[in-house]
Amino acid sequence: MNLSHNYLYAAAMLLFCIGLYNVIVRRNIVKKLIGLNIMETSVFFFYISLGYTRNGVAPVAGAGADPTRMVNPVPQVLVLTGIIVAVGVTALALSMVILLHRKYGTLDTDQIMRMARQEETQAAREEGN
Amino acid sequence: MQGKPFFSVIPLIGILLPWVSLLILTLMPSRSRKARLSLCFLGSAATFVLVLTLLPGILDGHSYTIKIASVVQGLELRLTVDTLGYYFALMLSFLWMLATLYSIGYIDHKENRFFIFMALVESFILGCAFSGNMFTYFIFYELMTFGSYPLIVHEETREARYAATKYLVYSIAAGAVLFFAVVGNYFWGGGQLGFGQYGSLSLDIASRAALTTLFFAYLAGFGVKAAIMPLHGWVPDAHPAAPSPASALLSGVILKAGAFGIIRVVFNIFGIELMRELKVFIVMAVLACITIVLASLFALTQDNLKRRLAYSSIGQVSYIILGIAMLTHDGGLGGLMHLTHHAIMKGCLFLCAGVILLKTGKRNISEMRGIGYQYPITMIAFSVCALAMIGTPPSVGFISKWLLGNGALEAGLPVYIIILLTSALLSAAYFLPIIYVAFFRWEGDEIEGSARPKLSFTNESDYRLMVPIIVLAILVVIMGIWITVPGFPYSLVSKVIGVIFH
Amino acid sequence: MAIFMITLPLLGAVLVSIVGYLKPHWLPWGALVPLLASGVLGCMLIGRIPSDGYISYHLGNWSVPLGIELRVDYLALFLMLLICALGLLALIFSRRYIVKEVSAGRMTAYYVLILLLSGGLMGFVASGDIFNLFVFMEIVALSSYGLVAISANSRAVRAALRYLLMGAPASIIILLGIALLYMATGSLNMAELAGRIGQSGYREILIASFVLFVVGFGVKAALFPLHLWLPDAHSIAPSPVSALLSGLVVEVSIFGILRIAYSVFTPHVGNLTSATSNALAVLAAAGVIFGGVMALLQKDLKLMLAYSTISHVGYIFLGLTAFNAEGLTGAMYHMLDHGLAKACMFLCAGSFIYIKGFRRIEDLKGAWRQMPWTCFAFGLAAFSLVGIPPTAGFISKWYLILGNVKAGNWVYVVVLLLGSLLGAFYCFRILYYMFFQPGKEGAWTPRPADVPPSMLIPIWILAVATVFFGLFSGLVIPSLLKAAGLLI
Repeated sequence: MNLSHNYLYAAAMLLFCIGLYNVIVRRNIVKKLIGLNIMETSVFFFYISLGYTRNGVAPVAGAGADPTRMVNPVPQVLVLTGIIVAVGVTALALSMVILLHRKYGTLDTDQIMRMARQEETQAAREEGN
Repeated sequence: MQGKPFFSVIPLIGILLPWVSLLILTLMPSRSRKARLSLCFLGSAATFVLVLTLLPGILDGHSYTIKIASVVQGLELRLTVDTLGYYFALMLSFLWMLATLYSIGYIDHKENRFFIFMALVESFILGCAFSGNMFTYFIFYELMTFGSYPLIVHEETREARYAATKYLVYSIAAGAVLFFAVVGNYFWGGGQLGFGQYGSLSLDIASRAALTTLFFAYLAGFGVKAAIMPLHGWVPDAHPAAPSPASALLSGVILKAGAFGIIRVVFNIFGIELMRELKVFIVMAVLACITIVLASLFALTQDNLKRRLAYSSIGQVSYIILGIAMLTHDGGLGGLMHLTHHAIMKGCLFLCAGVILLKTGKRNISEMRGIGYQYPITMIAFSVCALAMIGTPPSVGFISKWLLGNGALEAGLPVYIIILLTSALLSAAYFLPIIYVAFFRWEGDEIEGSARPKLSFTNESDYRLMVPIIVLAILVVIMGIWITVPGFPYSLVSKVIGVIFH
Repeated sequence: MAIFMITLPLLGAVLVSIVGYLKPHWLPWGALVPLLASGVLGCMLIGRIPSDGYISYHLGNWSVPLGIELRVDYLALFLMLLICALGLLALIFSRRYIVKEVSAGRMTAYYVLILLLSGGLMGFVASGDIFNLFVFMEIVALSSYGLVAISANSRAVRAALRYLLMGAPASIIILLGIALLYMATGSLNMAELAGRIGQSGYREILIASFVLFVVGFGVKAALFPLHLWLPDAHSIAPSPVSALLSGLVVEVSIFGILRIAYSVFTPHVGNLTSATSNALAVLAAAGVIFGGVMALLQKDLKLMLAYSTISHVGYIFLGLTAFNAEGLTGAMYHMLDHGLAKACMFLCAGSFIYIKGFRRIEDLKGAWRQMPWTCFAFGLAAFSLVGIPPTAGFISKWYLILGNVKAGNWVYVVVLLLGSLLGAFYCFRILYYMFFQPGKEGAWTPRPADVPPSMLIPIWILAVATVFFGLFSGLVIPSLLKAAGLLI
């Protein structure tokens, strides 16, 4: 199995790593979420390339359809489901981001942590009094 | 375990009876203190009577069993009253009854908690005594350990908290080791945990290394409670810190629960033959001897009366262990009989110390000059028991020592006799001074020509404190003279030992 | 019929959202109904499933390999009943409690999310198709993210976002693992996969797939060192939610690994997965000790309980990696015991917050005067967690240690015992404060004034259940042993 046969899979994995890198390293939350979406998309890409056959036709059963040349429809179904899930996650995450932005005025995780820590020491001091 | 066991609900009722007094304590209103506490005493007395009713059957050689629940085949919660278990149960329910009576007169604050946990712990230790297999024994043993914590921490002083925490830490660590031992027993015993008449493990199923490790795990796990050195650290702190009736029970019963565990392990799990094969009894005997001697030496240095008695207990419980480790007929007889003998003697000693503490607030022996004249009955009882501990005939202490000495000769190891004699000498060295100070010294006796105070019987406490002391002191002598009365230790223990050393 | 157990809460969630819009004060009762119905169905199923069999249901009557299959075997039913029970008790507790933490506008969302969570958990456990597993896992995950953030204060949202940013990549990793599995075998049905893995020649792909599953589910189950999201999420969530999260969600994730490792990769578990399993065991052992030590250091009660969860997750994993029926039984029973006990403890923590707003352990000194019922229930649950006879925790610990003794993993036996020692210390510390320390001036009233019965009853049902399942474990253990033995 050399790269010329598996270039699709390799590309998907590369995208996956790019996405994961962004999720972990970026400080801006929205960039993290974009990284997450890149990861998700890369996995969908991986799925679809699983089902791909060279010179394939759409998997529609009907007159004159040749099953051996059809692209595998199962991964496509899985990807549809996966996209729905990904959209749900992104929507939820974005709503949380909006709440955080409202509270802290910034999207930078380091700054948010700093402000939060200040808040907490403030609260602890008040409780002590 | 001799003959086929009869099914009987009595063991279960015996364990549940103390819960009744528990219910009474929680449900009855707090105004009627006398009524509530009297009902508690009736509860413990009823438990004793219930246990007593089994005596004729046990003496005839029957045993009783009931299964409570089971996890899988081989792991069941089963109560079995065989002669050995019955012996322990009889002793502990009797002592508990006396201690409850004493507590009613002694404890004056937070009584609810104290009596509730007294009842609970009695229930759990009865469960230990009535256990039909190691699984049940372990369950009740752990419950007993945690149940006795509130008894030790009762006074809630700094010393009490420290002592109770130490007790808990030692016990939890021991519990972990014991857990491993019991699981290992199940695994290396071929999937069962029962008590066999001649042991239930064998070298056919498990390797020598496995069984040796198992024995040491058991020894360590039970040894913390049985105060084998170097695992004894919690004992000298717990006894002075706990209220005196609790100290008496601690020394008299709870330490014995650890020793009883070791007895079960040696006689009914490993069996004498396997013990001889594995040669682990040598380590057990060595540790016991070290404990006996060192504990007596430490006792010499203590001024606090209860601490001195605590170190004495550490040494005395190791007598039991030594007796078992001798693996001979008389050794086992002496060791097992000492279970009760020491409980009675030491129990009385602690109760007397409690009277002194309650009435005068004095804890240290150096402060107790002439106390025999103010509290003659108490101190006479104390003296009787102290002389018994040294081994003076015709007391029970003499019987135990005589049998242990015989056992040492049977085993062909006269070195044990030397240990026993040394310990007796040391006991004299730390007990006689107390009697001397109480009766032959008095306040202000440095002054030339000061008169010996008169004996005064008016200071003595009320009957609730005095009856247990007098009963125990009388028993110490009576049990030493009329040994073969049915129900007294010899009648039961001789059956047990007779079967094991057939 | 099993399908209804799962769909009822899901449909109920939709209905409840409508109910919440129209008649908000019917919300708590309305939310109870679907779960109650599920519970009843589950009880009816108990007799039907032998310990070595299963019920199979094909969605839409499409047979395998085209259709999605639901497979309810003994282990799955066991967990499904636990899910129903805990979900119901959390809902009952929430009726009074949740007003303290969730604003009125979000009540509907709360009940909807709880129902979705319960339905999703049951679907996950019953799934016989691996992609279906993924879908239900996502339902569970999304509901959990939402529930953690439900109180909408900034700490909660931060904790939920951190949870999401670790959980979502984990889900993607699992999806990739599924893709690799499909690539190597061409099927998504678990029973078929079990057969095809043996015939497939793609060793590296299968090993990679297994590793991805372990990592992905490991994050969700808070396996050390992928546990970073758990302390904040479980301590900041409202107490009934924490109870469900700690008690169910992490355990069901471990069950996911169990399914993958035993139902899918078996009988090749040995040679394909042994390296990963060894690594897993080491990490689990580290987690046991780490969780225990961190729990000792905590001052906040719920944080301590969260770290304790990390420790107990390690226990369950150590049962799985022993690879024998006893270890597996111990792991499953520990899921039961930890679920019950930890949920009880979180609900008790909720009670303390409800009555006094106290979150720190120090504030609990002398608590038993005012809240004796809560304190005693907490004590019972703590005993079970530590493993004191005769509670369920003792039985589960017994089998965990027995499994590892049988497998000869002496190090893990020691780790398990050490873990229970640590557990004893951090649990008994709290009990000591509650019962044996005098309270601060004016902190507690001398007469009992505990939480209302609707909150006490779930707490006590859980506490009594831990003792019940310890004394009468004979009801469950033999069947568990048989079912576990089949998997090995």
